Amino acid sequence: MIVAERKPFDEIKNMVSGYKKVLTVGCGTCVAVCLAGGSKEVETLNAELNLAFGKDKIEFGAETVERQCDMEFLAELDAKADEYDALISMACGAGIQFLAERFPNKPVFPAVNTSFIGVNLDVGWYEEKCRACGTCVLGLTGGICPVTLCAKSLFNGPCGGTNQKSCEIDKDQPCAWYKIHERLAGQDRLGQIIEISPPNDWSNQKPRKVIQPGYEERVKALGR
Amino acid sequence: MAETTDMIEVTINKDVLVIGCGAQGLESAEAVAAKGYKVVLVDDGDVPAPASADIEVMANTTVESLAGMTGDFRTCLANGSGRSDRTFGAIVVAPKYGLAPLNEAYGLALDDKVVSMTQMEALLGDAAFKKTLGQGEGKTIAFVSGFGQEGDPAATSRVLEAALTVQKLGNARAYIYANNVKVGARGLERLFTLGRNEGVVCFKPLEKPAIEQGDTLKIVINDPVVREDVALEPDYIVVEEEVVVGRANLDLAETLRIDTDLDGFIPSNNVHRFPANSNREGIFVASTLEDAPNVALRVADLLASGVKSVAANAAVVDETKCTICLTCYRCCPHGAIFWENGIAAISPVACQGCGICASECPMDAIQIGDFTDDALKADIEGAVASVSGTPSIVAFCCQNSALEAGEAAKAFDTELPQGFRMIQVPCAGKVDVEFIMKAFVEGADGVMVAACHEGNCKAERGSTFAKWRVEEIRKRLETIGLSKDRLIFTTIASNMAEEFSMKVRMFAEKL
Repeated sequence: MIVAERKPFDEIKNMVSGYKKVLTVGCGTCVAVCLAGGSKEVETLNAELNLAFGKDKIEFGAETVERQCDMEFLAELDAKADEYDALISMACGAGIQFLAERFPNKPVFPAVNTSFIGVNLDVGWYEEKCRACGTCVLGLTGGICPVTLCAKSLFNGPCGGTNQKSCEIDKDQPCAWYKIHERLAGQDRLGQIIEISPPNDWSNQKPRKVIQPGYEERVKALGR
Repeated sequence: MAETTDMIEVTINKDVLVIGCGAQGLESAEAVAAKGYKVVLVDDGDVPAPASADIEVMANTTVESLAGMTGDFRTCLANGSGRSDRTFGAIVVAPKYGLAPLNEAYGLALDDKVVSMTQMEALLGDAAFKKTLGQGEGKTIAFVSGFGQEGDPAATSRVLEAALTVQKLGNARAYIYANNVKVGARGLERLFTLGRNEGVVCFKPLEKPAIEQGDTLKIVINDPVVREDVALEPDYIVVEEEVVVGRANLDLAETLRIDTDLDGFIPSNNVHRFPANSNREGIFVASTLEDAPNVALRVADLLASGVKSVAANAAVVDETKCTICLTCYRCCPHGAIFWENGIAAISPVACQGCGICASECPMDAIQIGDFTDDALKADIEGAVASVSGTPSIVAFCCQNSALEAGEAAKAFDTELPQGFRMIQVPCAGKVDVEFIMKAFVEGADGVMVAACHEGNCKAERGSTFAKWRVEEIRKRLETIGLSKDRLIFTTIASNMAEEFSMKVRMFAEKL
């Protein structure tokens, strides 16, 4: 899932001061799951803002949609958004932008910082796992991502800085390639580690689009 | 509050799984079978044949996984011949703990003269050995206990039994060096007196005995009664043993998702529960032989005739809001939550209504019985609105402790600030971040979250969750520019009326 953290309160407060009616929009998917932007966070943020500005100084509304990255769910806000002069989005960066795109005449302010694509370790505890590099090498690396875990994002490693099990940047930072070596050795396919992965095409880091197989014709028909 | 509660009937599987065939496991299996339930008895080792023919036995079998809920526990039992999926209404755990000698605590190495309690018990069961103890001048056996660890009645009982056996041989002598002679169990005081009457000598030195282990053994203590050093050269020294939980029990607790106590023993301690109950309804623990009949009673109470009538609204999940983030599943202290058909599902049989899940749910998708979000928000509005003058204090009071203390404080006419209002919650764990913030937004000057003392929470971790939330909101109040001291967390017992009103008065003074 996409993991986000709430912004410092003052930053949010400064963004919305000066407006009269503000709608805080939560997202019921990734940011709800990672406890940053679901309906409870919406209610809590509104209460904090009410306390900071003084009750009734600014009117804060609350809505949480299923996903802010789907236009159909944002459409549910169409009638409502008109009543407000600014919007706060508690979704990830994608959701915030899509909300802003849906309501181009309204200022849209982010209430969370989008952190990474990660996994849940325990309630409220997450770890980054994927950098969305666009060239997945997990099949060669025993299911451990060197782009995320290695400080140099090396496709072919380790580098000279590997130190026992750790990375040279910090002894608490595991060396990705040490872990990959261990995993591959455990699966009896260590031979793969010497296969050279060609460098990632980092030019793919421009804004990307994905069209799933079978949907190309549909997209073409839409003329976009 | 709702005036009537809709009840629903839940079908409960009537088979019972008993894990562990130690004496208390066998006894529990027999007692449950005697109540008319089908019992499957499994053990990771051999299983002796039970007396009752109604007990199905599976030796060398482990519980590989557990899914489902109280009344419908779905297990995977694994042994050499494969895996089988079996469903049970209730599970009884009879943990078998190991023993480890504490000779190192006394600076001793085990040999043929320095032996563990278990070894001595075995020796005393051997007629030839017993004969040697009485030969010639007779042998002297010293038992050391309670210095390697704090003693307990079970350990004391073994020492007293063995010492009495030795002394009764006639021509052998038993000495006990004990820190504390723990006789707080049935028959132990009698056993102790019996031994003394037979001539067992008990020393209660203030410090651990100094022991020399050479060609001969020598124990020196300073006897606090005669205030002199007393030396003894025994033929045998028997060292106490500690109980070792062992990986197998910890793994089992993890598989069954039941809590252990701080030392790893099953179940965790909770004064609000019957001793035979674990934190999960339907999973019972027989730690001793005495637990067996209690376990059978609890099992029969749950399974009854296979149908259980429970409140329909104990905890209700709104399927349009739930995102199955699993927060509730992970936070539930009673293992009452799972997921099916794309949403979180809360077992009405297993749910204890604490409301921790509802307060942690990021989508406010869970409503608890009489304590729905709407009802509590109305309570908060009412509480603040009813106050004239300052300071107005909203106290969220756990109904298991603080609410009782508060009601008593009122009944005893202890002085409480005029603007003090209590809001009943099923557990401090039900006090949502939103509720506290709402109280401030509505105009409360101070908010108090009053929970049970640490380690005394009926819902195991409700107080802990409440404390964490208060700490977090205090930080947030500061960033908003309000005093963090407008919010406090406090713990109180139900009988502490005077202390409760004092805490409230002190809080009011600071506001």
